[in-house]
Amino acid sequence: MELVSIASATPTSIEVSVAANGRTRAIGAIMIGIGLFTGLVFALGVSSAAHSGLTFNPVNLSNAPWHLGNLTVVTRWVNLVIAVLMIALGVEVVLRSPRRAVMVRFGVVAVLFLLALLFWVVRTPGPSPVSVINLTAVLIGSSEVAMVLIFGSLSGVMCERSGVVNIAIEGQFIGGAFVGTMLASTTHSFIFAALGGAVIGGLLGLLLAFLSLRYLSDQIIVGVVLVTMIGSFSSYLNLQVFTPFPQFNTGTLAPNLAIPLISKIPIIGPVFFDQSGFFYFMLILVGAVSFALFKTRYGLHVRAVGEHPRAAATVGINVIRVRYINVVLGGAIAGVGGVAFMASQGQFQPGYTSGLGYIALAAMIFGRWRPSGAVVASVLFGLSVYLSQNLQTYNVPVSTYILNMFPYVITIAVVSGLIGRVRAPAADGIPYHRE
Amino acid sequence: MRLELRGITKRFGSFTANDQISITVEPGQIHCLLGENGAGKSTLMNVLFGLLHPDEGEIIIDGEPVKFEDSGEAVRRGIGMVHQHFMLVPVFTVTENVVLGFEPTKSINRVDYKKATDDIRRVSKEFNLDVDPDAIVENLPVGLQQRVEILKSLSHDAELLILDEPTAVLTPQEIDALMDIMRSLAAAGKSILFITHKLKEVKAVADVITVIRQGRVVGTAQPTDSEGELASLMVGRDVNLTVEKSTFTPGEEVFEIRDLVVRDDRGLIAVNGVSLDVRAGEILALAGVQGNGQTELVEAIAGMRHVESGTITLKGRNITNASPRRVLDAGLGHIPEDRHRDGLVLSMSVADNLVLNTPRRAPFAKHGSRNLAAVKENAERLVQEFDIRTTSIYEDASSLSGGNQQKVIVARELSRPLDFLMASQPTRGLDVGSIEYVHKQIVDHRNKGNASLIVSSELDEVLALGDRIAVMYAGKISGIVDPSTSREAIGLLMTGTTSESEHV
Repeated sequence: MELVSIASATPTSIEVSVAANGRTRAIGAIMIGIGLFTGLVFALGVSSAAHSGLTFNPVNLSNAPWHLGNLTVVTRWVNLVIAVLMIALGVEVVLRSPRRAVMVRFGVVAVLFLLALLFWVVRTPGPSPVSVINLTAVLIGSSEVAMVLIFGSLSGVMCERSGVVNIAIEGQFIGGAFVGTMLASTTHSFIFAALGGAVIGGLLGLLLAFLSLRYLSDQIIVGVVLVTMIGSFSSYLNLQVFTPFPQFNTGTLAPNLAIPLISKIPIIGPVFFDQSGFFYFMLILVGAVSFALFKTRYGLHVRAVGEHPRAAATVGINVIRVRYINVVLGGAIAGVGGVAFMASQGQFQPGYTSGLGYIALAAMIFGRWRPSGAVVASVLFGLSVYLSQNLQTYNVPVSTYILNMFPYVITIAVVSGLIGRVRAPAADGIPYHRE
Repeated sequence: MRLELRGITKRFGSFTANDQISITVEPGQIHCLLGENGAGKSTLMNVLFGLLHPDEGEIIIDGEPVKFEDSGEAVRRGIGMVHQHFMLVPVFTVTENVVLGFEPTKSINRVDYKKATDDIRRVSKEFNLDVDPDAIVENLPVGLQQRVEILKSLSHDAELLILDEPTAVLTPQEIDALMDIMRSLAAAGKSILFITHKLKEVKAVADVITVIRQGRVVGTAQPTDSEGELASLMVGRDVNLTVEKSTFTPGEEVFEIRDLVVRDDRGLIAVNGVSLDVRAGEILALAGVQGNGQTELVEAIAGMRHVESGTITLKGRNITNASPRRVLDAGLGHIPEDRHRDGLVLSMSVADNLVLNTPRRAPFAKHGSRNLAAVKENAERLVQEFDIRTTSIYEDASSLSGGNQQKVIVARELSRPLDFLMASQPTRGLDVGSIEYVHKQIVDHRNKGNASLIVSSELDEVLALGDRIAVMYAGKISGIVDPSTSREAIGLLMTGTTSESEHV
């Protein structure tokens, strides 16, 4: 028996961790680089007289018992503090190469970068700012985008953890938004709207599952075809139904459900506790999916099916059934996400999801196929999407199109292994057939 | 468990993989199923394990006929299988892999990992199978992964264990350890069905031997029978187990590598400063357990993988980081490890595959267009000369048996003027007849005064062919020894235990 312990014939684990450390250090170096850029351009590159105006008051002032005055900060100093913070995080990663949560630290640096950009954009030469940036409004606006992205990336996590690539999230968003506005307009209930969205998303998931599991079609192609089909079909229906009968597309905004007391906390209250029901449902869903995937028997089966379906099959797990269930559930989650998006816009418009489903997929990858990671990534991408849509109002010298590229550039960096190593479930996208 | 297979027949279309096979395994018995690749052993085991459904015949467990819809049912009836390719999820822990499908749960369907880990500790103690339940499987050496597979079956209360070619990936020491485990399991009353084509292992461990050929039981044998008797029963004719070689008269140095460093697909150093040289009239055999850098070394020599540092020289020409075509033109013949991926274009004809490395050269091409008459003439000649069994030279390479596919590659590589032959796992998956043939071709080539490098993880092959044996471990050469060296000593080198080995 002793001999066997000597006979470890493939000794690579030590080298692996060395290589991983090297990559971790590279991430740290990138973080330091971004910090230096921020310090040089957004802080030292600004005249010391420049000021940035901030306010934290919620848009709906009557809802706040408190009133924080406008805050005017010296652009150079506040950005210098941010830059130092970024560099400190980078140095910590380089020196300590923490095994976990490197991506989270990187996400924090990315958010700080966007904040510094924001301060830099709204700076004015003198101490009395011309334009004031409402940080609370920025956070609330970003949280609405992030919420939709989280629904989408949770959908992706559900499907891909079981080994099916769901590239049709965008289509499920559109389908959910369409059905959602009809039901919300006619029943005036967002619960019915959400249920309808879940059904249509689930049905689209079922179609994807059927084609890729029954007929072993290429999952990417089926997904893209579904998105294109739903996009065109919803535009057609929009023209045939909503244009002549606009009363079916008045969805209206989902009302905010303020949680007593804690919603009054400055900044945090309006961002987290004065949101629509969809937002709270999303929070619960993140916990539920995370719990189900990593703590339960069901989750163990799902992950086994996504990693090594044949191994799962040999212990009696029905691979195809697990995949059907997950793709349908994932589709339903994306469908609800579509309704949530509609409810934040007030109605349906053809093509107005403008690629959010794909950004959600990017968030899933950046979040390493984990619900918690997907949340961090969605917050980051949500902020960048919101800023790209709203920065024009501040006369930004950066084109919004460039800012629109941000989530995808990060995704390319992540997928190419530039920022850390991400590993998809081993059987992701590979059809399974019984011998 | 007393297991009886009665008249099992399994057909795939017109092909009968199992024909009226009957076997009985008694409790506490190690029953060995001996047969060549393609004899129908794996099909039979898949039938027994519920992965395939038999067309005829019965499976009887302790006197009671059973039918398995899927392998989950087989597992529930006490049948455990250790697959040749492990059925383990690499990113899961040992515990997660062992409990998969049989999880103890707490409220709301949560897996009770504490109970699971305790159970695993108990079972591994009971059967003396030491393994850390919290280790991630992909970080474990292959021998331990196999132990996890065995542990998995035992945790599911298996009374009968099927071991499908379990030694293919193990070092000699790991094989000994596995044999010990098998004996102690049998002593504890478990029945074991051991599937293999390796005669030494059969003789070492079997209580009863059933020999299968072409889907039929052709006889039973005793472990005391000689290897020659077992081999001829398995193949159906007398087999020559030793390769005739003329005396070793090495000539000038033909091939040399110095301080070679090569990375694997993950960017990790796989070949770490290897130096070797091969002389004319010599076969240098490179032994070692798979995954110790041999594949990367061969790919680097063939020009298929980037060399980080070091040099490769063939007949005085530096071919480091040369393109595959330049390497071939320099006089290298290459029989690759994976014949389907790198050796053949399966969807192309036998004739085209036979000129795969020289299509643009006369006489197979003229004025930039192919000379199909020359291709046909070449194919007809080689099919004759190398005894390639095919219905037509225009048949797709995919329609040939594994042995004949390998013959196509051997014929292609050996039929042109070569300075140096490099063959990687040249007989993997072949039947004894084809192994004999390929070995004879390689040795004939050497007897004509040519230099060869043979890479193999089969110790028997290394010992049969090598004039010198180099052993590779963890990207380095752990020793170069004479073929008269004992198997145990070579086995130790394969685990990286470097002794004061004599360089010959």
